[in-house]
Amino acid sequence: MSGVVAKARVEKAGMTNLYHSKTAQWAVYAVFFVAVGVVPLITSDSFLLNQFAVYGVYAMLAVSISLGWGFGGILNLGQGIAFGLAAYGMGMTMQMQSQDPVSSPIPPFMLNNSLDHLPALWVPFSNTTLGIILALAVPTLFYVIFGTLVFAARVSGPFIAIMTLAVLSALNTLIIDMQPYTNGVNGLTPPSPLKLFGADIDPYGATSYWIVFGLLVLTTCGAKLLTQSKFGLVTQALRGDPERVRFLGYNVAVYETVIYAISGFIAAVAGCCFVMLVQYVSPAQLDTNFSIGMVIWVGIGGRFSLIGSIIGALMIQGGQSYLGDQFLNSWLLVLGGFFILVVRFLPKGLAGLLETVLGMVGTRRRSSPLPQAAGAADMPSQ
Amino acid sequence: MGVLEIHHLSKNFGGTQVINDFSLKITELTLCCLVGPNGAGKTTTMDLISGRQKPSSGQIVFRNDDITGLGEHEIARRGIGRKFQVPAVFRDLSVRHNLEVAFSRETNPFRNMMHRKPKGLREKLDEVLQLTGLGSRLETEAGVLSHGETQWLEIGMVLMQNPSILLLDEPVAGMTESEIENTIKIFNRLKKTNTLIVVEHDMAFVREIADVVTVMHMGSLLAQGTIGEVEADPRVRDVYLGDPED
Ligand SMILES: Nc1ncnc2c1ncn2[C@@H]1O[C@H](COP(=O)(O)OP(=O)(O)OP(=O)(O)O)[C@@H](O)[C@H]1O
Ligand SMILES: [Mg+2]
Repeated sequence: MSGVVAKARVEKAGMTNLYHSKTAQWAVYAVFFVAVGVVPLITSDSFLLNQFAVYGVYAMLAVSISLGWGFGGILNLGQGIAFGLAAYGMGMTMQMQSQDPVSSPIPPFMLNNSLDHLPALWVPFSNTTLGIILALAVPTLFYVIFGTLVFAARVSGPFIAIMTLAVLSALNTLIIDMQPYTNGVNGLTPPSPLKLFGADIDPYGATSYWIVFGLLVLTTCGAKLLTQSKFGLVTQALRGDPERVRFLGYNVAVYETVIYAISGFIAAVAGCCFVMLVQYVSPAQLDTNFSIGMVIWVGIGGRFSLIGSIIGALMIQGGQSYLGDQFLNSWLLVLGGFFILVVRFLPKGLAGLLETVLGMVGTRRRSSPLPQAAGAADMPSQ
Repeated sequence: MGVLEIHHLSKNFGGTQVINDFSLKITELTLCCLVGPNGAGKTTTMDLISGRQKPSSGQIVFRNDDITGLGEHEIARRGIGRKFQVPAVFRDLSVRHNLEVAFSRETNPFRNMMHRKPKGLREKLDEVLQLTGLGSRLETEAGVLSHGETQWLEIGMVLMQNPSILLLDEPVAGMTESEIENTIKIFNRLKKTNTLIVVEHDMAFVREIADVVTVMHMGSLLAQGTIGEVEADPRVRDVYLGDPED
């Protein structure tokens, strides 16, 4: 680690905060992913492996929220829209894999709802490739259309939060109401695991863990590269002051729509993975509490940091399943209280705390920067 | 033929006539100072040119193109850069990042995903840093800059856009004497290569930089001419300049 520290210092001579060093940031990513990547080599507990893979899904959701909210300034309380739509797409695909065109052409629950042929909505999902493509494309397209309408109208922040929440809630109700097509509140429970290229992907096996892990690495690093690009810089500028960005020549609504849609796409990938791992999908995936929960993970972990957001998700979901069992009733209260404290005292979350600490360490190492800063204010600029 | 022409511009906000049949021609490579008492409509005129407000009537022509009613970003892309009266910089980004964002030669979001430092950025950044003297503050968060430095930064951002015409609303407000001296030098250099419209109350500053002075009063043109002509105009002294002892 000390090599990284030294290099980062030399690289950014003017900067003292290690937190802002790109080299150090990527080093943290590498350490994190190696640590998470070796899990299947250490444990053979398949239940644990499956649970860790599900945490990988939460991590992807955290990345998607951090990208939209932290880097794009879009407070999205309805990320369950993309997550849930994709989950249903994947659920339908897996359900159709276990139907037989001759002996049992339609899922059993439809028979109970007196459907005698496969509804048109379901037909494309008979093809696995097409089904997975649709599971990813439909939510993304939904975000593109919704984003275009909302951002072109210059709807302001709090209203976007309310609108995303409202759309999520409406979609949830719609799915419950379309009982013959969705099996209502019971949701879909595909009887067998996902088959890819002729092989069963055991949800409790190492393969499914690696798939989720690989996708997490791809989406996280992709998101990270995006934030470091000129595009990411423009979104970070418009998060603070969209009005000002327009006068620089950028079409703000297009930038907002694009980052919102990318965030939705990542949530859709997470939705597909989730159903692969748990072999069911229900309106619970579009529950408003769950989507608001994602924002809480990211708020606590630090929305301006992708990895901070991931840590927030792991801490809270982990805490919920290990501590929550004992204090199930008080858990939500504890979480709410914790969130309020973080918002009040650490607006940049735990990652912001690290930034402050590293900043103080860097400052102490440098010789008294305070007089210099004060002097610069009234120094004639040459 | 002016590079920017404003024809019979009017704007009313809910019945109040703020700009009233205002016309103006800006000649290429000149610095025009727009002065007038508080509430005369100077900022609103800039809002109308830059697309922040849509005129109630009238026409704005830039390089023979009618730009009336276009979106802010479209007007900016045509080469009209703007600095705001209340300095508007991205406070949570560093000075460097502020200047990088403003370098907006490429505005397509997908092409901007492919790179961080577009071609020509380095040279432009060096040039602007030299002009504004912000070189030592590059990694500083813009929110902690002094008032004068913030003004510099926003002027620098406008320059990063490489505009052919600069609209600068009260650029020296809050600057120290020495900072103003500097600004005078820079503006006199800038007008050799750019066209500028500067709104300013500081008449000493205006005297040093203006080629043409336009006086607005209650949304209309009151007088126009060299600084000497305008200062000698009794109507201008009456509504704006007051008695000769400043
Ligand atoms: N959005 C608005 N709605 C209603 N009235 C407005 C609006 N914007 C400006 N005005 C009014 O228009 C008039 C002109 O304002 P403007 O800001 O253009 O003046 P100015 O010449 O820039 O003044 P100053 O020197 O104080 O900056 C003022 O009376 C102001 O109250
Ligand atoms: Mg004004």
